[in-house]
Amino acid sequence: MHSHATETLKKGEKIVIVGNPNVGKSVIFGLLTGRYATVSNYPGTTVTITGGSCNLGGNSFPVIDTPGINTLIPMSEDEVVTRDILLNESIKLVVQVLDSKNLSRGLPITIQLAEMGLPFILVLNMWDEANSRGINIDVKRLASAMGTFIIPTIAVEKKGLKELRDALSEKKYPSILINYGSVIEEGIKEIENILPESNISRRAIALMLLAGDESLKSWLKRLINYPDITRIESVRREVQEKFFEPVGYLINQIRSKRCDKIIADTVVKNRIERNAITIHLGNWAMHPVWGIPVLLVVLILLYEFVGVLGAQTLSELLEDGLFGGYINPYITMWADSFIQDSFFRDLFVGEYGIITMALTYSIAIILPIVGTFFIAFGILEDSGYLPRLAIMVHKIFKSMGLSGKAVLPMVLGLGCDTMATLTARIMETRRERIIVTLLLALGVPCSAQLGVILGMLGGVSFIVTILWAGIITLILFLVGLLASKLIKGDTSDFVFDIPPLRVPVLSNIIIKTLSRINWYLKEAVPLFIVGTLILFTLDKIGVLKTIEVIASPLVVNFLGLPQKATDAFLIGFLRRDYGAAGLYALSEAGLLNPNQILVSLVTITLFVPCVANLLVMIKERGSKTTIAIVAFIFPFAFIVGGVINFVLNIFGIKL
Amino acid sequence: MDYHRSKEEIFEEDRIEEMLELLWMAIEEGGATIDKITKRSEDPQAAYLLKDMESAGLISLNSGRITFRETGEKRAGEIIRRHRIAERLLSEVFEVEEKEIEEHACELEHSHVLGQSVVNSICTFLGHPPTCPHGRPIPKGDCCRKFSLEVKPLVGSLTDLQVGEEVKIVFISTKYHARLDRLSSLGIIPGNIIKLHQKQPTYVIRIGETELALDSDLAKDIFVKKTS
Repeated sequence: MHSHATETLKKGEKIVIVGNPNVGKSVIFGLLTGRYATVSNYPGTTVTITGGSCNLGGNSFPVIDTPGINTLIPMSEDEVVTRDILLNESIKLVVQVLDSKNLSRGLPITIQLAEMGLPFILVLNMWDEANSRGINIDVKRLASAMGTFIIPTIAVEKKGLKELRDALSEKKYPSILINYGSVIEEGIKEIENILPESNISRRAIALMLLAGDESLKSWLKRLINYPDITRIESVRREVQEKFFEPVGYLINQIRSKRCDKIIADTVVKNRIERNAITIHLGNWAMHPVWGIPVLLVVLILLYEFVGVLGAQTLSELLEDGLFGGYINPYITMWADSFIQDSFFRDLFVGEYGIITMALTYSIAIILPIVGTFFIAFGILEDSGYLPRLAIMVHKIFKSMGLSGKAVLPMVLGLGCDTMATLTARIMETRRERIIVTLLLALGVPCSAQLGVILGMLGGVSFIVTILWAGIITLILFLVGLLASKLIKGDTSDFVFDIPPLRVPVLSNIIIKTLSRINWYLKEAVPLFIVGTLILFTLDKIGVLKTIEVIASPLVVNFLGLPQKATDAFLIGFLRRDYGAAGLYALSEAGLLNPNQILVSLVTITLFVPCVANLLVMIKERGSKTTIAIVAFIFPFAFIVGGVINFVLNIFGIKL
Repeated sequence: MDYHRSKEEIFEEDRIEEMLELLWMAIEEGGATIDKITKRSEDPQAAYLLKDMESAGLISLNSGRITFRETGEKRAGEIIRRHRIAERLLSEVFEVEEKEIEEHACELEHSHVLGQSVVNSICTFLGHPPTCPHGRPIPKGDCCRKFSLEVKPLVGSLTDLQVGEEVKIVFISTKYHARLDRLSSLGIIPGNIIKLHQKQPTYVIRIGETELALDSDLAKDIFVKKTS
């Protein structure tokens, strides 16, 4: 088709998938490797790299999925990840995924890839959406303008996959080249002479440096000496002095103009009046007035599905029916007759038994709740509602002194705080990453906890539900406000893509839910067993009673809870949803009145989510920050609980 | 403006103004030396002209380097301002081809052509642009400092628009470099057409098939002109 250098892809060479946010990189990755990477309809789902391997003609090739980028000059941590892969890994083929209806966003990246001298092919994904919008792309012409293979695909329907696999076996070096004008070009030449050999071309690195890319500094320091770095800096300054506007901005403009020209030559757009219901719904969901009823409907449906169906109907079925009616009595009976030793019998079926406590809590109480929540959350993710929710609550975050961008990780925290803490990488400043991490750890209940809490509250009263939600929201707001005043630094600009509202694909919801349940079973359940074992051991060696007595001034007097609640808080240190499940069991046994339910739930909600979350916090924010956050959270949680108890008592409020 | 001056006087005036303009640009690029200026100038008597200007108190010559004195700098700034405002006017309002803009702007830059108050009106009309179409800064006038809105501006901030309007981005006026980089990587670049979808709770704009949410702080930095 073209006259450019092509060579066959050799065995074992890495294939990297890159592209703008939310164009379907992870879907393509899943199709090529058979491995599931979380797929959603909002930008920033992938914040770390995922690896897999792809089988082509009997040979296996490593494939890497990367976080979405709008430019290869990174501005936030997730973007650094992608650029660094291109810079440091030995890459043999880059697969750039583009949104067919949005070529003007993707092609500037294509130009940057071409400048890097990497072989790549272009995948025009969401081909159907482009067609339905009247956008016709002349693939052949575009291919010859860029000098590489171009594969149209509809990834979610697996269309174009075979063509893509065929194209992967060949390496193709694109031909497109841009002239940035004499001043910048001379700067490029001067810097090129100083730069070391690397995986990507000197020209591309020189352009990044001219554009003022700070994130390259540490890479440069490893490879060249200090005087050379200073020389590069002075070349950059000289070039910048010749322009009033930042060089990076000028470079972006030149690239964008070139892309517009390519698009004008290869794309025909017919105006099609589109009137799909999803468009209207999408607009209503972020409308200043209609957005509120839409939000309420979403919340009510969520409550009905998770709080009623999951937490009450299914949970009861499993807990009272399966575990209470069959498993526990049967196993207890079996244990009574076969295990003579009471120690080992209690280990499995005692008060703190692995089966009667750990598995009953995790499988019977929490699993149906997280299961239904994962389904509901998956639908919300894939529909594209979450970014619209971010728009609706942006003002609240702004009044806290945070960018509305912080909304996304916070909403994702409702699914899993651990993953959401990783997503904090999309924030551009350290200050905001710390605040988001703090708020996630402090008060955003994850799916498991939210489900248990909803299940518990569903049985009590609407007022308590509202009070709990109101108190937690207020605390998040106040702590956020205070933190943003105390922690100095900048605020990220609030600007992000709004994906179109889409009807979720059933198969993706199923796969996503299953993979999350799988994660829950593998990661959370063992932790439940560990927690139970700790309680069991403490109980057996008689320390548990002592702890309950020692904690009694705090738990009984200060919080006004029964002594048994101490157990729930103890295991709450491991996972707060487990602690919540302990409270749920207490409340089911009729040991908690509505006042106590409110106090205990607020306290446990404010705990650090789980051990996994703690580890991610250390990894992402460093141990110093994490220790500070944890040292704040636990005392704070108890103080808030105590204050609520005090207020309820002093006013004689009976909920 | 003085209509009673002779042709020769106006010619002399123009020569000085051309030289002041050249000096301003050279200084903007890092510095003016007599060597550089005499080489660049189209004036055959450039070296003598510089001497004359020194004795007129417009500039100082110091071991080959040229610097402005106060009056010279003020006059040069006015010339540059006229030139660059004229460029904006020609490119934004009349959509003159880029090749021709320079030629016309050079004629309009002289004080006997465009008076101070006319320049200020045009500047206001254009929304007090910070740069010329080539990205070089326009020296501020009295009108920019007052940010007067007596003339209804043609170019205004995105925040001044009504929902549903379709506009062309003319320039982005921000003091944060990172913000420019961020916006341009999302397709918010002069020349692109955008449609304002909503202003509350955040701004939502449409560029091509992309919908972008942005905060009012950013929206007010984006200057646009209505498309006809």
